[in-house]
Amino acid sequence: MEIADELKIYDDNLVKELSNLARDNIEYWDIRTTLNNGTVLSFTNQRSKEISSYETLECGIRAFINGGWGFCVLKKIDKNNIIDGFLKAIKLARKSQSLCKFQFNINESDPLNKKFKIKSVRNLESIDIKDKIEIVKNHEDISSKYSKEIKNTRTVYLDGYFKNLFLNSFGSQVYQDLEVLRLFSAVYAQRKGLIQNAMNSVGGVGGFEIMETEAAQNISLKSAKQAIMLLDAKSPVGGKFNVIMDPKLTGTFIHEAFGHACEADIVLNKESILEDKIGKTVAIEEVNVIDDPTIGQGKKFNLPYELYGSYNVDDEGIPSQKTVIIEDGILRNFLHNIETASRMSIEPNGHGRANSSVAIPQVRMGFTYLEPKDWKLEEMIEDTKSGVLCEDFQYGYTDTTTGNFQFKCKFSYRIENGEKKELMRDVSLSGMTLEVLKRITAIGDKSTFNYSDGICGKGGQGVRVCDGGPFIRIEDITVGGLN
Amino acid sequence: MQNKSDVSNLALFALNIAEKLTAKFAEIYFYLSDYLNIDIEENSIKNNEIGSDLGVGIRVINQKGSLGFAYTNRLERKYIEKMVKTAISLMKTGTEDPDFKDLPPKYEVYKTVNGLYDKDIKYLSIEDSILYAEDLINICDKDDMAISQSGNFSSSYNKTFIFNSNGLSIDSKTTISSISSHVIVKDEITNDTSFGFESQIERNLNGINSKNVVKTALKNAKRNLNRKKINSIKAPLILTPKGVISFILRPLASAINAETFQYKRSFLVDRRGEYLGPEFLNIEDNALIEGAVGSATFDGEGVPCKNKRVIDKGKFLKSGLLHNSYTAGKEGVESSGNAARDSYSSLPGIGIKNLILQSGKSSKDEIIQNVKEGILLDYTGDRPNISTGDFSGLILQGNLIRNGEILDALNETMFGINLLDLFRNIEEISKETKVYGPFQAPFVKIADVQIIGSAS
Repeated sequence: MEIADELKIYDDNLVKELSNLARDNIEYWDIRTTLNNGTVLSFTNQRSKEISSYETLECGIRAFINGGWGFCVLKKIDKNNIIDGFLKAIKLARKSQSLCKFQFNINESDPLNKKFKIKSVRNLESIDIKDKIEIVKNHEDISSKYSKEIKNTRTVYLDGYFKNLFLNSFGSQVYQDLEVLRLFSAVYAQRKGLIQNAMNSVGGVGGFEIMETEAAQNISLKSAKQAIMLLDAKSPVGGKFNVIMDPKLTGTFIHEAFGHACEADIVLNKESILEDKIGKTVAIEEVNVIDDPTIGQGKKFNLPYELYGSYNVDDEGIPSQKTVIIEDGILRNFLHNIETASRMSIEPNGHGRANSSVAIPQVRMGFTYLEPKDWKLEEMIEDTKSGVLCEDFQYGYTDTTTGNFQFKCKFSYRIENGEKKELMRDVSLSGMTLEVLKRITAIGDKSTFNYSDGICGKGGQGVRVCDGGPFIRIEDITVGGLN
Repeated sequence: MQNKSDVSNLALFALNIAEKLTAKFAEIYFYLSDYLNIDIEENSIKNNEIGSDLGVGIRVINQKGSLGFAYTNRLERKYIEKMVKTAISLMKTGTEDPDFKDLPPKYEVYKTVNGLYDKDIKYLSIEDSILYAEDLINICDKDDMAISQSGNFSSSYNKTFIFNSNGLSIDSKTTISSISSHVIVKDEITNDTSFGFESQIERNLNGINSKNVVKTALKNAKRNLNRKKINSIKAPLILTPKGVISFILRPLASAINAETFQYKRSFLVDRRGEYLGPEFLNIEDNALIEGAVGSATFDGEGVPCKNKRVIDKGKFLKSGLLHNSYTAGKEGVESSGNAARDSYSSLPGIGIKNLILQSGKSSKDEIIQNVKEGILLDYTGDRPNISTGDFSGLILQGNLIRNGEILDALNETMFGINLLDLFRNIEEISKETKVYGPFQAPFVKIADVQIIGSAS
């Protein structure tokens, strides 16, 4: 595989020169350089609002010594600027080191010398812009014509192809040629004074074939149907209920309420409810939680592409891998970057991720999920005397220091005497993470397992993630609503 | 690109290509940002960062209103030429848009707004920046209950240049500095932990008060310890300035965005000219305040900025919407100078300048002292649904008020209200106000809010 011309600047001579500059000055360095290209298509009410394209070349240089980091972002990439930026990063790291309270080293890991390319069928670079626009127009057409009550539609197509080179002081040289695509559909429906909206997205790592999948082709119809359905939904009554969560909500719960507390940087900053909990019971025995961002899982879901949250190697040159977080109710592992792994004296597990080469890698999730067990959804509903079945989410957040979480669901159905009843909208669920993990009363089987994807924000950076699980039932959840 | 004539030459080069390739309208936007950032984690300096971002975006529009946009951070002429050609080819693929009227004209006069550039920020060194970060760390170290802090200090020097095919040519230089503190405190007796945060953004370095920021964060964190569940009640809600921003001003900023409005996604559609609140409710978006974070002489398209009243004596004004040139053209009015653009990589959207809820007559202490039973709300992570105005959410930082005294922090307590009811139920507004970035807000008392407790 030939690397992009723009990245050939890092020849043996330059790398040798950088290594010499680093010697006796710093303990670790890495350089990330990316050539980014991509397209944004945004249509509203069947009219193009944005048709845009970009090309940027970015470089961030990081240096480390004894607990202190320095980072320098270049605006122009040539040999002189790289050396100049490298010296600045060294100076910044030494300054950090002179002031930081925690002294530690970065444990050396084996150098990785590898080139990765995502195997796409229809390479995004080769697709004519007109074909991309045709798809967006078609979706706008479907959603706006679905009903007279649909007053406003929006379809956004985003793609990007990235050529990224990673170098570090352990001798790693990792080249990645990556394609990413995401499609959104939003629909607003109105009946008299009432406005309701629905939003859906499909995303993946791969080429234009992502647009040919069933989920992508049905996205606008799904949004339109949902927006109309919500016009008839009732406002919920607040109180404490048995709640059945669908895979999307289970995934959100595992990601937001629990996953963030497993990020080792949050743990070290004493913001996590899970500090000192490794080896201890944090959930009922049936609970197993995994984070697995490895490439190759698309086929598990019959998809011709890779999951949106997956990657070959993280932004610190560590290969992605499956990490068991909870095993049979017992907390086993946190998620790490090279710093937190070094400080906790374990091997890094490939969770050092950044949203671009000009941002610093943080500890981030990839594909986080709860493993399925043995309940069928119908059994779960039949077994529930009074409760709420909640599907899909609008948003969610958690106070990681206390574990108090809150999710806003999209669709919720009241359950009475084992039967699914009327639809409710804007139901919010809240509780305390560690209490709730012990109040799970049913975990769905394999057939109910699914996932969803999105962008997760932390420290001003958004990265691609997936989360999922089966349907689960939890007792005594606080349900809030307007009434 | 520090040199203005270099930029002008590149802009002319690009505009000429666009014109030759049949773009009827073209606009070129350059943006430079030199920044530094210091991160604090575990109450220790963690990372020092410096960087620079420089790039250019071009927007081209044809006779039928179809728009193409492209950007790059590679400023050699061959990449700029490629970018213009790409934008033109994209323009040719778009749909007609008869609502597009024109790009802004060349303006003869712009109002001067002082205090938007501070050379102390432009020439600030990492060494001097660290002193601000160290203030945060030292105060936290000395506090008995603080167990950790994350935070940062950052500053940037920004330059913008806008040129368009109507002859508009304008540039500005500005500075921004910000500091934030997120502290974790622990009550050693009860073992309970909680967080508190505070931030400050200023155009001028001497406005930054790092000690005050960390002290406020600590105070907020301690007020939120040992949280109690309460029973459901219907009671007055006292919003702190931070609460007013997240709960009234931010949602309002979305609801009066002319684009949201024109697509009928706002709960305020059809309510222009109506009285939304009491006659002592006044809200304006003022771009001309000296030294304020949201102030500017021109917006993201080069249109002169001004002061706009949004809600006047309780009445939502007909002219109370925020426009860029596109939405203004569609409605047949002048742009309000609210085209928002944070970088060369985005098309102009719509955003506030300084959104201000004006102060009232009561003192904040009086407002609280007169509450028999109520809730003090500082922070919720939830947001209202802008198209319906409905809100229901969790109180993340809030306390019970009883007989005029601020008591226990609230645990697992939710509340719900529609924003129209909330405006109608405003009972009192404090004299004291606080500024957070482009927002200014007082304390506000809302009558009769449904609070959902979880004590059983």
